[in-house]
Amino acid sequence: MGLREDLDRFREVGERRREDLKEFIRYGDLGGSDPDSIQVPIKVVDLPEFAYDPRDRGGVGQGGDGTPDVGQPVGPPQPADDGDGDEDGDPGDEAGEHEYYEMDPEEFAEELDEELGLDLEPKGKEVVEEVEGDFTELTRAGPNSTLDFERLFKQGLKRKLAMDFDEEFVREAMRVAGATPDEVFRWCRGEHILVSRAWIEDQWDSIPDAERGRWESFEEMVENVERETTLERIRREGIREVPFRREDERYRHPEVIEKTEKNVVVVNIRDVSGSMREQKRELVERTFTPLDWYLTGKYDRAEFVYIAHDAEAWEVDREDFFGIRSGGGTRISSAYELAARILEERYPWAEWNRYVFAAGDSENSSNDTRENVVPLMESIPANLHAYVETQPGGTAINATHAEEVERAFDGSDGVVVAYVSDPADVTTAIYEILSTEDDE
Amino acid sequence: MRDDRIDARKEATRLAEPVEEAANLARKLGLDPYPVNYWIVDHDEMNELIAYGGFQRRYPHWRWGMAYDRQRKQDRFGMGKAFEIVNNDNPSHAFLQESNSLADQKAVITHVEAHADFFANNEWFGLFGDGQGEDRSDLDAAAMLERHAETIKGYAEDPEIDRDEVERFIDAVLCLEDTIDQHRAFARAGDRRERDGPPDLRERLDELDVSDDVRRQAFDEEWLDELAEAERAEARLEDPHNDVLAFLMEYGRQYDEETGKAVEFEPWQKDVLEILRTEAYYFAGQKMTKVLNEGWASYWESLMMGDENFAADDEFVTYADHMARVLGSPGLNPYKLGMELWQHVENVTNRREVADKLLRVEGITWRNFHDVVDFEEVADLLAPDPAIASITPETLGDLDPDDPRVDAEALAQALDGKLDVSAYPWKVLTTEGLAERHFSLCKPQNRGFLRRIRRSELERLSRYMFDDAKYGTVADAVADVDYGVGWRRMRELRESHNDVTFIDAFLSEEFVKENDYFTYEFSQATGDFRVASDDPEDVKKKLLLQFTNFGKPTVAVYDGNFGNRSELLLGHQYNGISLDVEQAKRVLERAYDLWGRPVNLMTIVKEYDEHELEIARRRNREPTPTEAGKRIRYDGERFETHDLDPELEERIAANDIDYDTKPDDWLA
Repeated sequence: MGLREDLDRFREVGERRREDLKEFIRYGDLGGSDPDSIQVPIKVVDLPEFAYDPRDRGGVGQGGDGTPDVGQPVGPPQPADDGDGDEDGDPGDEAGEHEYYEMDPEEFAEELDEELGLDLEPKGKEVVEEVEGDFTELTRAGPNSTLDFERLFKQGLKRKLAMDFDEEFVREAMRVAGATPDEVFRWCRGEHILVSRAWIEDQWDSIPDAERGRWESFEEMVENVERETTLERIRREGIREVPFRREDERYRHPEVIEKTEKNVVVVNIRDVSGSMREQKRELVERTFTPLDWYLTGKYDRAEFVYIAHDAEAWEVDREDFFGIRSGGGTRISSAYELAARILEERYPWAEWNRYVFAAGDSENSSNDTRENVVPLMESIPANLHAYVETQPGGTAINATHAEEVERAFDGSDGVVVAYVSDPADVTTAIYEILSTEDDE
Repeated sequence: MRDDRIDARKEATRLAEPVEEAANLARKLGLDPYPVNYWIVDHDEMNELIAYGGFQRRYPHWRWGMAYDRQRKQDRFGMGKAFEIVNNDNPSHAFLQESNSLADQKAVITHVEAHADFFANNEWFGLFGDGQGEDRSDLDAAAMLERHAETIKGYAEDPEIDRDEVERFIDAVLCLEDTIDQHRAFARAGDRRERDGPPDLRERLDELDVSDDVRRQAFDEEWLDELAEAERAEARLEDPHNDVLAFLMEYGRQYDEETGKAVEFEPWQKDVLEILRTEAYYFAGQKMTKVLNEGWASYWESLMMGDENFAADDEFVTYADHMARVLGSPGLNPYKLGMELWQHVENVTNRREVADKLLRVEGITWRNFHDVVDFEEVADLLAPDPAIASITPETLGDLDPDDPRVDAEALAQALDGKLDVSAYPWKVLTTEGLAERHFSLCKPQNRGFLRRIRRSELERLSRYMFDDAKYGTVADAVADVDYGVGWRRMRELRESHNDVTFIDAFLSEEFVKENDYFTYEFSQATGDFRVASDDPEDVKKKLLLQFTNFGKPTVAVYDGNFGNRSELLLGHQYNGISLDVEQAKRVLERAYDLWGRPVNLMTIVKEYDEHELEIARRRNREPTPTEAGKRIRYDGERFETHDLDPELEERIAANDIDYDTKPDDWLA
């Protein structure tokens, strides 16, 4: 499709091809410029144009509440942001000291697989696509371009062979002295000549009388007259003699192959209670983001559900997920209850692969883990349940959720617990999570 | 098994009524949109459409791949939800995303109808089709772009033509995409304004039939040669060609490595150039009216959704969120600026009407206006007639079918029960009635607007009051207020203006102050950008700079035979803001690909003395640059910079506006 090709060419620009455009490539970031937002690397090729020197140009800004004082510094000029998808609008790129390489989730997943030696096989669930395979099926009707001509010809040939006879030869037979149509017929049939009696009778009168009695006997005729085989006849008369019949027409038709769609829903659960401060939140983000990307890369279709909870749970958008913080206490089961409901309603187990990832600092209301969370985890069918404890500085005294879960599910393939106390642990955690898999 | 088309069809069914009613409401409000065809698309299709700039098919090029890549990422990571796509065409085509909520869809539909009205009536869009409204019935942009796509695809796939070369050629033209004469109708833009060079004096003498003797004595050959040369020179430089692309199309060549000569373009190159130039003209209208158009659409969308309750009660919160996101994005937001300007225009026009009426009341003059007028009373009087403001099945009886504000036919139907007045109260009103219902000065956020009228304006109004219709009381005067002036004026303006003219005319002092706009500039002293001024004149200047000529410096062709060596001479029409020279050089390299012979660019640069810079940094004072004219030449291999001939420098020098808004004692 046009766009796919354009996309490929874009990827190659400045790299595999069109090195002359290399100097115009910029690696910037999509996403907001506030500290909580996620940077998505993006490659931009800016063709040169006649433009003002940005330093000389300056610009116009709008104050929030009153105008800022003259002389106050402003950020570097932000180009206008469009709400819709017009031609302009560049990503903010002042953080552009980093060079990101544009990454596709699929590439990311591959790299991670290599890095960590993983081997996750995405499962197909429901049949969604019927894809056309090779043109091997035959039907009796179809567009002309798919007509199986070879077959048609072969059938016609067979037909001809079944009915064809050397007419001249039979005529000579009719010239045998004293023969009657009936005798000729019977003799021909004896010779395995496929003529019909009707034909002989029909042609009888076309033989001039003077020619009758040319031969004394059938044997004499046979000795003197050459017989032509069907093939010779066809060769001589041409292919038009091969009868094509409607009922022989066959049209090729693509084989329908059912492809099961590999889809996945990832439920990300996060503790946003008062105890989850900046450091912990960051660790959660560092762990969840690559997991999300990985699964996006592995599956045909990935959907995400984000649940934030303190003592209660509520569903949020991705943008808000990492930034939220509330002041409340913690009851982890609320999140699982909500997750169970959402999965039940929107992502039936028969159709969706499921991953339920939860993260927090292991603090939970008394007995909630044992009495509620564990049973809930057992009752929600999923490819994998995971709990990531983010506790910088090691485990705290009251924080036992992770341990309890680990004990409860010890030996089970469907649940994994990971501990992250600083960014260095993240990779290990990811590995642990992705290399455990419940085999169904 | 899911069938995507079933989902789309379901959605289409669900939206059939809102689509029809939005169009009806738009017309009732006085708009006159192109008919719109709505299409339901899914995520992927939407991303593709956005990548292609709102169309289904464009010529093969990596730029669409780039847009697509970016769009998919934005979509995937939830940044910037794409809402609507509608293109300038008759009928217009609009694309709605399948999975949007009903509230979002309604917002989009009302927004789209307003856009379609803008496309149909704004004359800058008409420049392409060379008409307005009905005259543009021949425009079929989608088909045109598809034809272009087909043609260029043909060249790209032609085995005789190097694919990379096609792409490179397109790149080169794209660099000069905006060097067109966007203020002229496309059909005529290529015509050269320049008159032909004056005929050689010798020819004229021949015509005059002067004898050879006299000629030899009075005009010797050498002198005649020089004169001819000078006249040709003058003719050449008199009227620079703004449509650089047209000039290249006609006179451009490509450099042939083998022969070392400049040879004619291949037919495919000429074709591609022409196609891209046509597209540049097509999209120029959009680029020139972005603020106006988006503001217009946002204004009417907000009125239909919010004030006219097109959004049902339970949808309203979603809608408010939608609006907040659209208007809340940081930086200079065309939707916001546009909408604020339109609202300002409406308010100012309405206010003038009310003030005019009040000034005709016995005892009220421009001097005592603010003392004598009871603004509370006026506000109450101005409030729309309750029967117009709130229409329910119960209040229908209060409406008089003979009242010009009432749509008699619709009223009859409503009374018969054939029209659902709870869902569509606006149906029983005429445009006049709706104007009263939505009179801007009555809205809570505009309460103080009337009172803020300046004395100077009141004085001016009084001065030009010719007919002295007098009112006995304020009530009488207000009863005569024409509620429709605001909208009428808006409709007039949306016909003739583009962003630059609109901002120039309506960005008033009041507007700038109310909306907290300010300018910022780069400081050599501190090495970063700082707030420079909040003076409304400065703000206006800076904004104009951002919008004039697509926000880019104007570059025109000054000579196609520079130095008598067939060199191209481009000139940057300097307005006080200098060019990004490094980038300009890159453009020259590509211009060379389209000219085949050396290319030159004239510009004026600002030079800073090193020593002065040092002092400036130490004393927090801005250094003063010296301006110098330069000519940059590229011959296919090397760049050379020469000082610019003073005569030429004069031709491109700035004359009037100074866009520098740095105050004198800025950072002292």
